[in-house]
Amino acid sequence: MSPLTITTRDAVTGPIVEIAGDLDYATAPELRKVVDHLTLADGQLLVLDLANLGFCDSSGITVLLAARNLATEQGADISLAAVPDNTLRILRIVGLDRVFTLHPHATAATTSNSPTR
Amino acid sequence: MMCRVDEAQDGDGEPDVDATDAVFTSLLEDSTEELYEQAPCGYLSTMMDGTIAKINATLLDWLGLERSHVVGRMRFTDLLTVGGKLYHETHFAPMLQMKGEINGIALDIKAAHGRRMPVLVTSKVKTSENGEPLLIRTTVFDASDRRAYENELLRGRKAAEEARRQAEADRTRLQEALAVLQQSLLPATLPTVPGLKAASYYHTASPDRLGGDFYDLFPLGTGQWAFFLGDVCGKGPQAAAVTSLTRYTLRAAALHDGDPITVLTTLNTVLHERYTSGDPRYCTAIFGVLHPRDNHVDVHLASGGHPSALIQRADGTADYLPTPGGILIGILPNPEFTAARTQLHPGDTLLLYTDGLTEARIGPDRALYGEDALRTFTTAQPIAGPQALITALTGLLAGFGEGLDDDTALLALGVPAPLPTPFSIPASDDLT
Repeated sequence: MSPLTITTRDAVTGPIVEIAGDLDYATAPELRKVVDHLTLADGQLLVLDLANLGFCDSSGITVLLAARNLATEQGADISLAAVPDNTLRILRIVGLDRVFTLHPHATAATTSNSPTR
Repeated sequence: MMCRVDEAQDGDGEPDVDATDAVFTSLLEDSTEELYEQAPCGYLSTMMDGTIAKINATLLDWLGLERSHVVGRMRFTDLLTVGGKLYHETHFAPMLQMKGEINGIALDIKAAHGRRMPVLVTSKVKTSENGEPLLIRTTVFDASDRRAYENELLRGRKAAEEARRQAEADRTRLQEALAVLQQSLLPATLPTVPGLKAASYYHTASPDRLGGDFYDLFPLGTGQWAFFLGDVCGKGPQAAAVTSLTRYTLRAAALHDGDPITVLTTLNTVLHERYTSGDPRYCTAIFGVLHPRDNHVDVHLASGGHPSALIQRADGTADYLPTPGGILIGILPNPEFTAARTQLHPGDTLLLYTDGLTEARIGPDRALYGEDALRTFTTAQPIAGPQALITALTGLLAGFGEGLDDDTALLALGVPAPLPTPFSIPASDDLT
């Protein structure tokens, strides 16, 4: 188990939240707190950078969906960047690979106009 | 103060010894009689039969009695409460007789104004020069404060024990309530379906935490049967509430229109409306309809984000029934669900499971168990029907140990293989 660290930085397109470590039942509330405090402007893009995400269970998936709901409510968009294979496998099983816009890395998310759906 | 004045007067720094002695003497009231009568404890002398021969003023004061009523008229035991008398009779007196003295025994005396006064009693037998017992000398100490302190300790300990007992009872009651609630989310027994065998298993990861896995098997009333198995996100009471809503929505929707995609879409609408804001609540599920035919059972099922069903075939193979593209139920207003059809022939068993099984982390490096391993395991099992497969999988789960940290539900539905004909008996003889 590796501890969860969450770093938020701003790109021209909107906030980028870097999530490193394990996202599970115990740590998911930490990300939830960060997500709840995000303010997004209409038309902005929220990028969740998962490059250093370790384990992600259903509690983690729930927070990703909560982030998606929050972005949608504020008229913003959301995409996931650098999703690790293990998490991508789970996203595919539950069909979320077609709900989230996925990018190979955060830079691609903030510069690409045509998401790699 | 006085000494300092004296010193100042004498001027030589020597204390005035005579004056100091005079002060002590006046303070001490150098009288044994006074000391005896006004001692800070009770004194008592009794004859060997217990008759009180002498008693001091302190004790008389405690008792609220006149000396004339006591001396020569009362026995020591007359001063004691009923309980004190009993203890004196059974322990105090025999010990005193045996040892000649007894120390610090806790007794209660009948004090003034009808009060009961806790005391500590020490007695010693005075003997003549040739060892004949003459009388008993007794001291009585007021133990009110000490007893109160002890009682306070005892009360504190009792309160702590009571609190612990209460906490344990609460915990037991909570676990019982959780178990009942958990059971209400699952069928008590699976119904008997003509031409079909069914078996199930539910593994609870923690007795304190309600799981979100669910399954069911029930008649649709048209010669068809419906089944479902799924997993609500999260754990605990909130997950259990969603599980309950999910289970009854699926049942009601199936009775209205049993088409699997329609049923899952109805559930999606209910969950999406109910949890549109705040915490997202969703589930994965496979819902299906069984239509028993003459020699097989038609299966029509659909999946919303749930791992594919696995079919153990009578020919010893095992394959997944893919339902790609089905999405989590409850997160989108208009989701896609994927349907699939198959037939179960005699000896075939359809296995539904939650991801507690396939996502289990096994071995020292906590490697993912995975769908390939499940298929390999199932292929290796003999063709012996749903119950045998569930039993084998239960053993597999038990072997995961710590690696199985999620709830796991299993539901197996199979068409029984034909009973062995008499022809097979010589065949088995050949094997020996």
